[in-house]
Amino acid sequence: MNWFQRLSKTDRMERELDAEIRFHFESQVADKIRAGLTEAEARRATRLEFGGIEQVKEDCRESRGTLWLVSIVQDLRFGARILARSPGFSITAIVVLALGIGVSTLAFSLYNIIALQAIPVRDPATVVRVERRSRENTTPGVPYSSIAYYRESAKSLSAVMATMNAAPMVLNEDEQRVSSTFVSSNYFGELGGSAMIGRLFDFAREDAGSAPVAVLDFRFWQRRFDSDPSIVGKTIRLNGKPATVVGVTPEAFANLGTENADIWLPLLQHSYFVEGSKSLADPKFDGLILMWGRLAPGVSTSRAEQELLALTNHLRKLYPNVIWDHERIVVTPGAHFLSLEEGGPVLALVGLLVFLILAIACANLGGLLMARGAGRQREIQLRFDLGAHRLRVFRQLLTENLLLGLLGSIAALPLSYAVLRLVLVYSNAPAWMSAMPDWRVLLFTAAMGFVAALVFGLLPTLQMVRRKKERFLWHQLVVCAQVGASCALLILAGLLVRATLHTLYSDPGFGYEQVLSIDPGMSEHGFTSSSAQVYLEKLQNRLQAVPGVTSVSVAMNPPLVNKEVMITGIDVGGRRIMIYPNWVGPEFFETMRIPLLWGRSFRAGEKNAVILSESLARKRWPTEDPIGKQWKGGKDIVVGVVGNTRAMEMNNTDETEIYYPPTADILPEMSVLIKTVGDPNTLSPVIKSIAGSIDPKLFPTITPLTAGFRKNVSEVEQIATIICLLGSIAIFLAVVGLLGLVSYAVAQRTREIAIRLALGANRAEVFSGVLRRFAWPVLLGLVAGVAITVSLSQILRRGLYGISGLDPISYVGAIAILIAILAAAALLPIHRAFQLDISRILHSE
Amino acid sequence: MTTQPKFDLPQGTLDLLILRIVALAPVHGYAIAQRIQMISKEALQIQQGSLYPALHRLENKNFLVAEWGPTETGREAKFYRLTAKGRTQLKTETQSWERLTEVVAMILQHPLGEPS
Repeated sequence: MNWFQRLSKTDRMERELDAEIRFHFESQVADKIRAGLTEAEARRATRLEFGGIEQVKEDCRESRGTLWLVSIVQDLRFGARILARSPGFSITAIVVLALGIGVSTLAFSLYNIIALQAIPVRDPATVVRVERRSRENTTPGVPYSSIAYYRESAKSLSAVMATMNAAPMVLNEDEQRVSSTFVSSNYFGELGGSAMIGRLFDFAREDAGSAPVAVLDFRFWQRRFDSDPSIVGKTIRLNGKPATVVGVTPEAFANLGTENADIWLPLLQHSYFVEGSKSLADPKFDGLILMWGRLAPGVSTSRAEQELLALTNHLRKLYPNVIWDHERIVVTPGAHFLSLEEGGPVLALVGLLVFLILAIACANLGGLLMARGAGRQREIQLRFDLGAHRLRVFRQLLTENLLLGLLGSIAALPLSYAVLRLVLVYSNAPAWMSAMPDWRVLLFTAAMGFVAALVFGLLPTLQMVRRKKERFLWHQLVVCAQVGASCALLILAGLLVRATLHTLYSDPGFGYEQVLSIDPGMSEHGFTSSSAQVYLEKLQNRLQAVPGVTSVSVAMNPPLVNKEVMITGIDVGGRRIMIYPNWVGPEFFETMRIPLLWGRSFRAGEKNAVILSESLARKRWPTEDPIGKQWKGGKDIVVGVVGNTRAMEMNNTDETEIYYPPTADILPEMSVLIKTVGDPNTLSPVIKSIAGSIDPKLFPTITPLTAGFRKNVSEVEQIATIICLLGSIAIFLAVVGLLGLVSYAVAQRTREIAIRLALGANRAEVFSGVLRRFAWPVLLGLVAGVAITVSLSQILRRGLYGISGLDPISYVGAIAILIAILAAAALLPIHRAFQLDISRILHSE
Repeated sequence: MTTQPKFDLPQGTLDLLILRIVALAPVHGYAIAQRIQMISKEALQIQQGSLYPALHRLENKNFLVAEWGPTETGREAKFYRLTAKGRTQLKTETQSWERLTEVVAMILQHPLGEPS
């Protein structure tokens, strides 16, 4: 019998123990009667011999070795009774804890889903991502020729998969573009899962020469085809190319590396769907094809890296220009939604916010426990007087706290579950993501409850047991922690709200209304620089002739359109300056309404010239005239300085941009920008027909810059909303906690207050005396909160969209709000104290 | 009290005596006390306060198992029985006890006053 069985059978063992001892007792009595005593005498004698029956039993329990467990059960039962006796305190404590723990559980659950949990594919532990690295270069992609070589040669990988996201494609005659992902034919087979209807790609059937096929994603099939089961076998047209739908993915299919596309296509048929594409044939083309592998049984990632490195050195002989110097291959676990490297700073910020909330909740719990300790002084004294050991009372109180922590954790789980479900639904998360807590989340939540109860319950409990009357220091620490954490959160909330307003209502430095970006997607279709130049010239000329178009230009990075942003940097006087580069045509500044401040714009066909934004020019040459200077000491001469913009990233507060004229090799990457009078969207059909007449195999993506602007703004708004929510939780917690603390301070001094009032003291004076105790800790807390935020402001700077991390309005506002709330929290108990019946209090003791 | 033991049992000896008594036949706690008293010709009186904790300790160590059964008078009592492990324990404990008494006796019987 192990201890658990023994414990679970406690009741039975107790009954048996009782019966056994009683049998002994009765036998002894019977023997004595037989020896001639009367029954009464026999019983009396036996009882004397026995000493204490209960003592015998207790010794037996102890020798069974389960006593400590039994007594913990007793403690828990007792604790539950105590908590049930004061439901007001218990419910407040549990709500406070549930909020604090719930927020951290929510954050951890999200982190768990995207980074810790393996996505639901077959044998996720062996799925790996394969990337190239060198000292100078990092790229997510691997050239297809290399992938093919690794697939043939690598023994450490039992399978090699490849995926490539394509530019949005035109489906039939739809206005709305669809997203598509090209995957290797073994992709679905390797990841497991069978088709919802029809079939998925088949390694044996799909290759470059076979009939073009497509697989629909479950959600797209629901949305676009109304879950029509007869879609299998029908023909759809993508970018005008017919393909047969062979099946629909299962609802819970999990894509590697990113969210699911609308349509899946065989990678080997890429050049069919994207006419002119050299993605598979050109060994230099590597930006878009991602490589995945499955480790052979028993192979570790480092062994796979070693083998792939050896193969790479062999590949260098085949493609000397493609393989970098010192290139190495990095193999990382692939079956996670997000790799840890990607979200570092964001995770740190979220972690900090969550920690602040939890700290506030815990400080509150500490305050509440302390206030309650004052009320329980008599009870605890009584227990000591009855001979309880100090350790035993301490353990009992600690058990109570842990019980609270446990209840808080239990209450936190449904809270976090509900919010997480909402988040997943609203963010349109992949179907396999479940809000249901797994063992990691449960463990985390339990640990949080445990830590919260232990850390912040320990000190007040110790002080209760030590029967110290004055808990001044701890008291002040609690207030300090609480005010500090609340203050930091409120300032952060203020900063982010102000940042949102700033993004919405300030000038980004360029005119984005009435500008359309047209991305022809030439590089994907295998355009060379000369064919691209011809195409761009034709397109620009035709567009200029369209009525309503006032300005046309080319640009490598159309503002607000691309998700990825290029950043380079230079060192000026030992400091690194981040720079946003762009390659633009001469008319770019006119099209984007960016003012030319000094010098001139580019001339057509000009080389070795650069134009700087004002702030970059100032940073590089603070005192000198930048015009005519050599950029980075090279051939490029500064010919002009233009106004600052936040064109690349709305949150770029540096506004350090550099513009180059387009070079021949990047012409296939270029987009065209047009400025219009009136609604630019009405021009879409005209633009499409012009593009179609110049080259029918291209399907340009037309994006109004306002759409990109709105998307940027809504992202900021979402972050600000979350922070505001956290901020209001913090305020709520702070109010509850301070209410408790002030009530406690008043309650502790009720007698003293009453005496002073009875002796005719001024009420205001009396209460300001009580409140003065809080002045210093509040002040210290405010200082600490400000210090925390200031030290964070550097991390925050990029997220703050043009607001300084030291924005005085946010700081002053947060402090003012906090003080107002503190004052309100203090007034309630004091108001209650005003109603005190002085004579009754003085008579009560 | 009237039933003080006539002398103190050395530490651990009670366990050995219990194992010895139980080894004869399954027996309940009261009978164990009775038998020890009887066999020792009243020299040893085992108190309940030591007997039952010892029984539970031995049961916990798996030297004894207990089951409920009727006594000769028809009442239900908890009968203890020796396990295989208990039997081995009894054997080793008996041997070491014999060895100990032998050694102790050897020393005690050594003629006094003579250098060794």
